[in-house]
Amino acid sequence: MRQMDAARWERVQDLFHRVADLAKSEQLRILREECGADMKLHDEVMALLVEDARADSLLDRPVANIADAVLNAPDAGVRAGARFGAYTIRRKLGEGGMGVVYLADRVDLGSVAAIKVLRDAWLSPGLRERFAFEQRALAQLNHPSIATLFDAGTLPDGTPWFVMEYVEGVSLTSWCASRASTLQQRLRLFREVCAAVIHAHRHAIIHRDLKPSNVLVTEDGSVKLLDFGIAKQLDVLDDATRTRTGLRLMTPAYAAPEQIAGTHVGLHTDVYSLGVILYELIAGRLPFDLSDRTPGQAEAIVLESDPLRPSQAARLPAHGDSVPAPAVTRDEWKELDVLCLTAMHKEPGRRYPSVEALVRDVDHFVRGEPLEAQPDSARYRVSRFARRHWRPLAGTAAALVAVIALTAFYALRLADARNAAVAEAERTQQIQGFLMNLFQGGDEAVGPADSLRVITLIDRGAQEAARLDGEPEVQAALHETLGSIYQKLGKQERADTLLESALRQRQAIFDPQHPEIARSMVALGLLRADQARYDEAERFIRDGLGYLKQRLPPTDARIARATTALGVVLQNRGEYAKSIAVLQDAVRAQSGPARSRADLSASLTELANSYFYSGNYTASDSLNRIVLALDREIFGARHPHVADDLINLGAIQFEAGHYAEAERYDREALDIISSFYGADHQETASALVMLARAIVSQGRLDEATPILRQVLATQERVYGKSHPRVASALNELGRVAQRQGRLDEAEADFRRMADIYRNVYEDKHYLIGIALSNLAGVYAERREFVRAERMFRDVLRRYSETLEPDHLYVGIAHARLGRALLGQRRFAEGERESRVAYDLLLKLPSPPAPWVQFAGTDLVAAYDSLQRPADAARIRAEMAEGAGIRR
Amino acid sequence: MGHPDRTNAPSDGEANARENLDVIFSATYEELRRLAASVRRSDPEATLSPTALVNEAWLKLSATPQVGYASHPHFRRIAARAMRQVLIEAARRRNASKRGGGAAMVTFTDSNDAIPSTAAELLALNDALEVLAQVNPRQAMVVESRFFGGFDVAETAELLRVSEATILRDWRAARAWLARELRATS
Repeated sequence: MRQMDAARWERVQDLFHRVADLAKSEQLRILREECGADMKLHDEVMALLVEDARADSLLDRPVANIADAVLNAPDAGVRAGARFGAYTIRRKLGEGGMGVVYLADRVDLGSVAAIKVLRDAWLSPGLRERFAFEQRALAQLNHPSIATLFDAGTLPDGTPWFVMEYVEGVSLTSWCASRASTLQQRLRLFREVCAAVIHAHRHAIIHRDLKPSNVLVTEDGSVKLLDFGIAKQLDVLDDATRTRTGLRLMTPAYAAPEQIAGTHVGLHTDVYSLGVILYELIAGRLPFDLSDRTPGQAEAIVLESDPLRPSQAARLPAHGDSVPAPAVTRDEWKELDVLCLTAMHKEPGRRYPSVEALVRDVDHFVRGEPLEAQPDSARYRVSRFARRHWRPLAGTAAALVAVIALTAFYALRLADARNAAVAEAERTQQIQGFLMNLFQGGDEAVGPADSLRVITLIDRGAQEAARLDGEPEVQAALHETLGSIYQKLGKQERADTLLESALRQRQAIFDPQHPEIARSMVALGLLRADQARYDEAERFIRDGLGYLKQRLPPTDARIARATTALGVVLQNRGEYAKSIAVLQDAVRAQSGPARSRADLSASLTELANSYFYSGNYTASDSLNRIVLALDREIFGARHPHVADDLINLGAIQFEAGHYAEAERYDREALDIISSFYGADHQETASALVMLARAIVSQGRLDEATPILRQVLATQERVYGKSHPRVASALNELGRVAQRQGRLDEAEADFRRMADIYRNVYEDKHYLIGIALSNLAGVYAERREFVRAERMFRDVLRRYSETLEPDHLYVGIAHARLGRALLGQRRFAEGERESRVAYDLLLKLPSPPAPWVQFAGTDLVAAYDSLQRPADAARIRAEMAEGAGIRR
Repeated sequence: MGHPDRTNAPSDGEANARENLDVIFSATYEELRRLAASVRRSDPEATLSPTALVNEAWLKLSATPQVGYASHPHFRRIAARAMRQVLIEAARRRNASKRGGGAAMVTFTDSNDAIPSTAAELLALNDALEVLAQVNPRQAMVVESRFFGGFDVAETAELLRVSEATILRDWRAARAWLARELRATS
């Protein structure tokens, strides 16, 4: 590209405009006059004139044509024979909303499976999220009527794929039509579909695209629910907009009114779609004939008109799409009309409150018992008619979809406790994605700033959950889910209320030592650990674990998970030796053939963490390396789990004072995380903090500052002002400020950091100690040694309650206390503290060079002042030899 | 990329305005990318018109609290930039795959690429526009708005608050210069 300069360009343009519309000879004459000897100017203007006369450049093509060429790339077809993990592609099965599905062989097992590959993954992070959601939803759901997830991964270009059970069957309606099924047979199939949906709802997943083509019936007559692709609400909205420009027509036949309106999607939305399916099965046709309607009319019909009763619809003459209706008696019709129309009531609040309730009425019907549902009163129908417009219910219902959708990520299972950071990130991102969708309906009352706060959304979810009074099991599951989300968001009180409520509800439903109760107890135990109420935490988890051991075979994964949870609690309360023993148990329990490698990796990670906190960096390092290899195998080389492992390895290097190595690990991790989540994401921000602290420790302060400001902004935006992730950004900012001599700023940062930790963890947590220790460091630098001393002593007291006596941090606190005492010229006392620190630090398996240096220097200074030259010389000599420290 | 213009930005404080612009921009960008993908999926025959995409994005996003208070021209101005980014990103990917980027476990077919040089040309145009923006930001903006955003002369004049004659002159000179740059790089 040639260089340009503004003045030159002005001159060129000027001449160009002067001559552009003249005759050729005139042009040449003027240019000759004006340019004189400046042949370059002459040539440049001539070149412009040449282009001006032509019209064949890119800029002359309609941009639509260009967009076609670059966007309408040929389909990214995957060739037969391509390999995905252990699977080899055989042929394409079909294309769904988001991806292409292939039939694949697993050669070693001689089995077949379906592989779904996300198309156009690069186009939108939103697509990737929704695809990943489907994958995680399937991974969570373990039900005979839901296709099982086998494997998942990412292509080198970032395209995600997953492998699931291959289902050979026909759609629900085709099955019934081809076999001329009886009413009883249809209801049996319908019940199976409901059972699968209930299973999903218990895991807080809303299907949102229930329709007969997503329900396959296999040769042996069993039902499989397919396609948990989740962007259903969004798709309906798309179609609404698309129809305006006639790009695509869509029949919203199974979509609930709230889906068409673009708001308020929830469990009740699936109830509606099930109602439509039931309607079609018994009436032989859809409730609304939308075939000759414009999309706008179709939407209006779904929103406004009442369907014919199924009994009436069944009497209409058959048409092309109708399924032969089964034989139904007059009395049966009466009941079925009520059942169906209750399920697909326009107002979510008047439908069956849950699929369970719907199934109960199906059972009542089959057994000839009275239904729970009541037909709408005449008065209600009149008032509804009078209102003319279906109006969305206000506020509260809106958020449930997001909450429920996001809970699919929610690692309620302890297996995922180790991946909480990743799960949390995905979740938060998902929430925000959903919020965008939710508020596209135009909820003006909710401003953007507030509406994007995750916590607001969860609050609404909690309100919604409170309405599920009649369904204690579902409510308990939701409470547990929401409670755990609050916990991750640092809202411990609200978490407490919900998790307690989940436990109470389960205690009311199940027998006292039921695994579900145990699960609640373990969840509550982990919350207690977060609240630093360790005795209770340990009791809950030990009791829960006890129940599980009584009820389940020793190899059951739930036992291993609860054991891991116990290890985590012990780790949190600083009982590293015990924690290590327990986690070793958990690891051993998972050595059998049935083990889940992901669970194993989780347990190993916690074990590595316990070693890390206990200061045994060597053991932690080697375990983390095993986990790294394992995770690379399970998740692929560029998965966030792998990045976590790298960060853990970097942290070990950091503690040992090997900042450059730490930086290398952090950069590798960051590369993975930022390409996975994008640049402006809280996970990326967290990885950046790790990188920044390695940079700060190497003295490259100017490089670190902008990174950290960005990080702080991201974390505050996502988590609000008071969250541990905000605190860790503040810590690094404080360190930079202190090093650059901006002590007031540093003090403010560390204070805020300490306040956040106090807020989140209650008063007893070693992290508060770290914050206060850094704050005291600022005092010391201001030469406010008395104040610093007092604070370091407070820090040591906190550590003594939370950490092992020979912990690295204890050593650091002694060293810093020693320096505060030397500053007051209290050499004898200072010597004692520095001595303790020096000895402690050197006894660590990998002594941290900078801190050994720190304590050693002070010790020498103290001996010099105390006139103990021999001691001073000895320490000097030890330090000169490097005191066995690897640098 | 320069700053998006803020002619019509909401006036409740400079910081707020910046933030709002960012929100609009990213929402628009995402929406355009998504629409581009869904149009492709739903109807391979459909001709993608960026103007249509921008209009659809507007229909949809104007109902949102984030975008709702931006005026339509303001939105379109930002959308033009987003469109440029969508197309450039797509062109980069096409170009990369041509050079054998992203090989490994799975081979993607890349057979019936009708206009092989469009992606490269688009990237060259993007580079040239960057250079132009250095010496004459208004001209670069005129090109971006007209070419990527589908603004007509009157709309561009209104947007940039200059006369239509100026827009025409800017466009004519910039077009000729860019065309020559493209020829030089191809």
